[in-house]
Amino acid sequence: MKRFFILFIFLALCNRSAKAISAHPMPIPEDPSTEPQIELNGAGIATMDVGRASSPGSSAKNIGIINDDDSSLSASASQRLYDGGIGSFTIGTLTVDQAAAGTGSPLFLNQAVLDYQEKSYEIWLGLTDNPAAHLVDFPTLRADDLVTFTSPLNPYSNGQNTEDHLYSKVAAITFNQNLTYYENFHVQQLIDTVDAGSDPGVTSAGFNFEYRGPPGYEHLQFVRSAGFGYEHVNAAPSYGGINQVYAGGVINLKPSVTNLVDLRAQGITMFGSKLNQFSSVTDSFQADYNAMALSLRYLHSPFGKPASQIALTLAAQNYIKVSNANSYAIALTGVKRLGQGVDLIGQLLGQWRSAALEAVQSPGVGFEQIFQVGLDFNFDTIFNQHIGPRRTYLNYQHQYIPE
Amino acid sequence: MAEIEKKNPSSRRDFLTAGGTALGAGLLFGRTSDALAKRKQLKRGEEIPPWVKFSPNATNPPYPPRQMPKPGEKIHEFDIDVSIQIHEIVPGIKIHGFLYNKTLPGPEIRVPEGEWVKVNFTNRTAEFHTIHWHGIQLANEMDGVPLGTQWPVGRNQTFTYLFRAQPAGTHFYHCHNMTPLHVQAGMFGALIIEEKNNFLKDVFYYERDYTLVLSEIDTNMVEVQMNEMMKSMAAMEKMAESSTMMREMNGRMMGWFRDKRAFLSAIASGYIPPYMPAMTGPAPTANFNFFMINGKSYPMTEEVRIKSGESIRVRLINAGAMPHYMHLHGHDFWHVCEDGAILQSPIKRNTIPVFPGSTADIIIHGTNPGHWHFHDHSDISTTNNGVFPGGMMTMLMYEDAEKLGVNVPDIIAVNS
Ligand SMILES: [Cu+2]
Repeated sequence: MKRFFILFIFLALCNRSAKAISAHPMPIPEDPSTEPQIELNGAGIATMDVGRASSPGSSAKNIGIINDDDSSLSASASQRLYDGGIGSFTIGTLTVDQAAAGTGSPLFLNQAVLDYQEKSYEIWLGLTDNPAAHLVDFPTLRADDLVTFTSPLNPYSNGQNTEDHLYSKVAAITFNQNLTYYENFHVQQLIDTVDAGSDPGVTSAGFNFEYRGPPGYEHLQFVRSAGFGYEHVNAAPSYGGINQVYAGGVINLKPSVTNLVDLRAQGITMFGSKLNQFSSVTDSFQADYNAMALSLRYLHSPFGKPASQIALTLAAQNYIKVSNANSYAIALTGVKRLGQGVDLIGQLLGQWRSAALEAVQSPGVGFEQIFQVGLDFNFDTIFNQHIGPRRTYLNYQHQYIPE
Repeated sequence: MAEIEKKNPSSRRDFLTAGGTALGAGLLFGRTSDALAKRKQLKRGEEIPPWVKFSPNATNPPYPPRQMPKPGEKIHEFDIDVSIQIHEIVPGIKIHGFLYNKTLPGPEIRVPEGEWVKVNFTNRTAEFHTIHWHGIQLANEMDGVPLGTQWPVGRNQTFTYLFRAQPAGTHFYHCHNMTPLHVQAGMFGALIIEEKNNFLKDVFYYERDYTLVLSEIDTNMVEVQMNEMMKSMAAMEKMAESSTMMREMNGRMMGWFRDKRAFLSAIASGYIPPYMPAMTGPAPTANFNFFMINGKSYPMTEEVRIKSGESIRVRLINAGAMPHYMHLHGHDFWHVCEDGAILQSPIKRNTIPVFPGSTADIIIHGTNPGHWHFHDHSDISTTNNGVFPGGMMTMLMYEDAEKLGVNVPDIIAVNS
């Protein structure tokens, strides 16, 4: 017995000295670490852009740039928990517009989030995807290509970084029924680039509902996913509260494994603002508007493997109380797969703005046109795998493990 | 018409009981264990019963494999299905598996040599399956190799296997579709063909007869691959509901070709085979983390029971992909059969290698009362998820150990 006691003390000391070199102690330093599952996720994208474009506060007209905006890298660690749940931590970053920094491409931290999930619910806390902004992902080259049409806008953004609309600090819980119906309730601390330095705390709260079709049937059944949501944003005090309602989904017009045609649609309406004119780009994220985006995609997969894709996205936005503030956009996007996750990409982007909107969003260019051609590289690698994904065929169709 | 005896294979445990009762009925009911003990030993000077004689023709099938049942011959009929079920290896470790008759391993089939076996095999999953009769000398069409000797059996289809039980001995059966995944996922079971003249009994007077099916699994690989597989098979089923989508689905998509020429022409038109590094990345290899005897890892393995003076026959079947070296503490035993066939001469040993696809029969004499470890001596396999002790380990347990003064506490250890 005594021998064991000495051994135990010795082990405890060894353990402590090993931990001494780690950056930050665990809350319970006596409990040795079990190797987690590590996931590395990356998307590199670079294009040559030519055309006519402008951004808030700048005067760029004819452009010819090398654009490496929106390349991302994130790392997650996950652990199977004593009760069978899954705990995970993700940290991730992406490159943002050159315009925002003048030179070079600074990194923007878009993920620093902790997650706890069980069979019927999931909780997350930290910096991550804005739960209102990712109901439908449109097949443009970059997530932010048509962001003013496809995401409920963040009235705390100064317009320099489109990422302000896509990411936020979130506390959320999502319940699910049979991994099919999802109800998300959340509060958010929206990224505030308007009043840099001040900390407004929680600025937004909302919920959304989503249906997701069964795993394996993604390209085969008519409705792939559909949902709607509501967000109340406690906007800049002078303007009062803003309400955002959004709904959308993806349907397979021609279900097919080899020649798929699908349609994405999403509508957003924002109301409750008193603004009736724009004095800054931020105002265009705070005024009442309606937006709609539609995207038709053809995916060609000979032998069942994706080989090429072409998508046409149309979008429109109309401000309700501000006159002369409408916008229309079109994106024609082509992807040719060169190998697993590596594509040759091209896109024609056009966005027309009426005068009031042009003045704050793209001064001097009423009709932006950009032609892009480049490459992308996507990967998702799991090391030390011991936790399967939750929403799998077997968990969905058969008994969930662990219960 | 041949005589058909219909059986419903139940769980493996039921089979063991049934087998044990059938073989030992007279003895178990007719004699006391003391009398049993006295039967075991050959007396000095007593003649050893004759052992098997070598014949170069011993590999020939005893009956022509392509024969059909004749009137009066006995047919044993079994219904076996496969479905996706949850199986618990040890408490806390559950897997989704492909299970024959909802058990892992599948039901033990036990039939007398020379009689007929008819198996109605029904697939209740979206994936394709078969049953391959490992070690059986049967008609080519009954061998259960998909796209080799038969079309794979699809959802809700029934394929009937019919073959004569030959040669005698310890064999097994397993799925032959995507074998590395399906066998790990549980598709295997024992097939015991009882000798017409069981002279092993005459020599060793063994009573109880145990079957230990050895296997291992990479639970993570099975979960990932089975999900991928089931997802694409579910997609195929959905496609089959629509005539337009049906037209898109063809053998090329599945990686099935009529012949080598069709395969080469598909490659010429852009088909990339699934083994290309561009499709697979680095080759994924199994990293086995659970090692099982009859579907369970220690401490949940079932003990092998014996009484002092009793002899038992233990049939070891390696249905897995790794060799296993079963070592018995405190005893020597006789290695009497390999791959079902009786050895030209029995071998005395305490550790028996059982290679993938092989079976070995051993006879253990109850000569040393106690609770004795019986385990794979390749100690990687005596772990559960890397933690010793666990895995491929059981106990040879004397039922009368305490009575004979051996006081072994019944300890279960899951950490050392
Ligand atoms: Cu199978």
